[in-house]
Amino acid sequence: MNFLPLIAYAAAAVAYAIHFARRDPASGRAATTLLLLGALVHTFVIGMQTMEVRHVPIANPSRAVSSFVWLLTLSYLYLELTTDERSMGVFILPVIAGLQIIPAIYPGMESQDPVLDSPWFWVHVSSLLFAYASFGLAGLLGATYMLQFKEIKKKHLGYFYTRLPSLQILDVMNSRAVTVGWTFLTLGVIVGAVWTAQARGIAPNDPNIKAMSLDDPKIFMALLTWAVYSFAVFARRTLGWTGRRAAWLSAVGFAFAMLNFLPINYFVTTSHTFY
Amino acid sequence: MHLFLLGVSHRTAPVDLRERLDFSSGDLSAAAEQIAARPSMTESVVLSTCNRSEIYTATMDPARAREELVSFLSDYHHVPPQTFQPHLFALENSAAVAHLFRVAAGLDSLVVGEPQILGQVKDAYQSSASRRCVGPVLSNAFRWSFGVGKRVRTETAVGEGAVSVSFAAVALARKIFGHLNGRRVLVIGAGEISSLTAQHLRAQGVGDIVITSRTHAHAEALAGEVAGTAVPWDGMTNALGSADIVITATGSQRPIVTRPHLEASKGHRRTAPVFIIDIAVPRDVDPAVGEIEQVFLYNIDDLQSIVEENLSKRAAEVERAESIVNEEVTKFMAWQRSRSAVPTIVALRQRFEAIRMSELQRLEGKLGPLTPEARARVDDVTRLIVEKLLIEPTEQLKALPDEETQAAYTEAINRLFKLQQDEPETKHS
Repeated sequence: MNFLPLIAYAAAAVAYAIHFARRDPASGRAATTLLLLGALVHTFVIGMQTMEVRHVPIANPSRAVSSFVWLLTLSYLYLELTTDERSMGVFILPVIAGLQIIPAIYPGMESQDPVLDSPWFWVHVSSLLFAYASFGLAGLLGATYMLQFKEIKKKHLGYFYTRLPSLQILDVMNSRAVTVGWTFLTLGVIVGAVWTAQARGIAPNDPNIKAMSLDDPKIFMALLTWAVYSFAVFARRTLGWTGRRAAWLSAVGFAFAMLNFLPINYFVTTSHTFY
Repeated sequence: MHLFLLGVSHRTAPVDLRERLDFSSGDLSAAAEQIAARPSMTESVVLSTCNRSEIYTATMDPARAREELVSFLSDYHHVPPQTFQPHLFALENSAAVAHLFRVAAGLDSLVVGEPQILGQVKDAYQSSASRRCVGPVLSNAFRWSFGVGKRVRTETAVGEGAVSVSFAAVALARKIFGHLNGRRVLVIGAGEISSLTAQHLRAQGVGDIVITSRTHAHAEALAGEVAGTAVPWDGMTNALGSADIVITATGSQRPIVTRPHLEASKGHRRTAPVFIIDIAVPRDVDPAVGEIEQVFLYNIDDLQSIVEENLSKRAAEVERAESIVNEEVTKFMAWQRSRSAVPTIVALRQRFEAIRMSELQRLEGKLGPLTPEARARVDDVTRLIVEKLLIEPTEQLKALPDEETQAAYTEAINRLFKLQQDEPETKHS
């Protein structure tokens, strides 16, 4: 079922690329419409899966990726519709469509592990997914900021200069996305720790629960990610690290987050394998 | 009826002559009214900018209209005809329409694609319309031209990119700061370009504009022009600390703003960006200042090369824009012809209807005994026959490819069916 949103996202990605190159209103409207369509179909898919397993489908990495893509799409759509700025779509859509390939190919079964049957667990995963979606946007905004910055600084006013929003807007949007992401990351990590303590009482012999410590690469990376973003939030407020430095931090932070979300999640961790 | 255009533009007349024939300082609508009151012309629009004075009219007799317009121009501006006659250009019908569309699209402008001209064309039309000096000929052409101007600007890049140094600076500032509302500007040295740039920035809604100059009177004069504040020369370092945008334009032989200088004044501003526009020659800002992370330093050559690049980008778009204009002229003329076929079509229909009615009348005696329903059927059938006979000729008349063919067809139909009608508008056009 995850194929349907993938098709719409891929079509939207093409439309955003055409819009970026041509800058005509018609292709822009087509791109937004396709993305809205994809989001709608995706909402339906996630709704169906939620009804099937009676909670948001996130306890399996593929389904978590699908939910992440869905949240990222909604966050991006919010950003686009509130700022009327479509030029970022060309960067975000490949990420959206690319990630959606994973759940489209490996649908994955939702874990039925009774240890997960706790509201703490759902809050933990949902907030982290939302945090990652925000960091995704922030990282992208940071990368485009650096592109735009470089062109203006070097006085090569080229392809991106005419197409990207102003540095100021990119910086403000980046700051918002990082702050929202950091808030949810903090919430997710705290709730995760609370839930682990609780789960130790319920299932002391579960290998996953046993592995939950700072030695686990996923937990370690999550805390490292949290440290990077905490520094980004702190540095903006007190050291005046705005603009290029903030952009750079959000790109690095997102690289950490993605590393954790995909390769570490699939191959390395021993603590988060409930499937 | 003909659309006739007479005028001077930057392509045909030197600036001093254009100034003498300028209408924009006076009352455009009054001039249009005077023209439309001349015997040979029924409609008129006067388009006057610093690059052109053009009079668009509707007339049955272009030769006479030309004479009357020449004498009008001479009387109105108190300029003898021989002074300006060699510089006049005159266009008729599709050529005049094409010219109007090109003007509205900014293709005939001195700086290709400049944005003001479309508004000026609209204003010219409005002021004529307000005095009821426009009729079907000009109002159709002008309204169509607004669409062409818009289409060319949205579908091509002829109007994109700043093409003057001061606008290039403002465009850059907007790319750095987004909205310029509340941004602080420091102008060091009051010159022509710094004054222009400051005015453009003011129009973009910047906050304080602080001006300093070695000659305080100059600073005060510019401060008056752009609603800024003049500060003494030794207050410059202080002002530098809080400025987002700095414009330097002094005649100094040595740099006024250096790296240590700026770093000291910006100490508390950390990474907030600063945009420095150095339009002085020799440069006022030490190039090393541009190495500071948050400083965007542009000198006059940088801005000039942006302007040149934009100009060449615009020039590259002209061909596409011209083909849009040509396409629109063809569409407009075809639409005009289809409209001007209407009188012939109406006359033809009236003729057929008259025949139908007279035949029904003639058969009144035989139709009398029929029931009302049967009478109605007879009526319907005859009307349908007439309708069907007319469908194809109507379509064909509306779709004739050019004016000559249309004139020939109209003539033929008039003769074949003995039509009595007013001369159709495009018979000559």
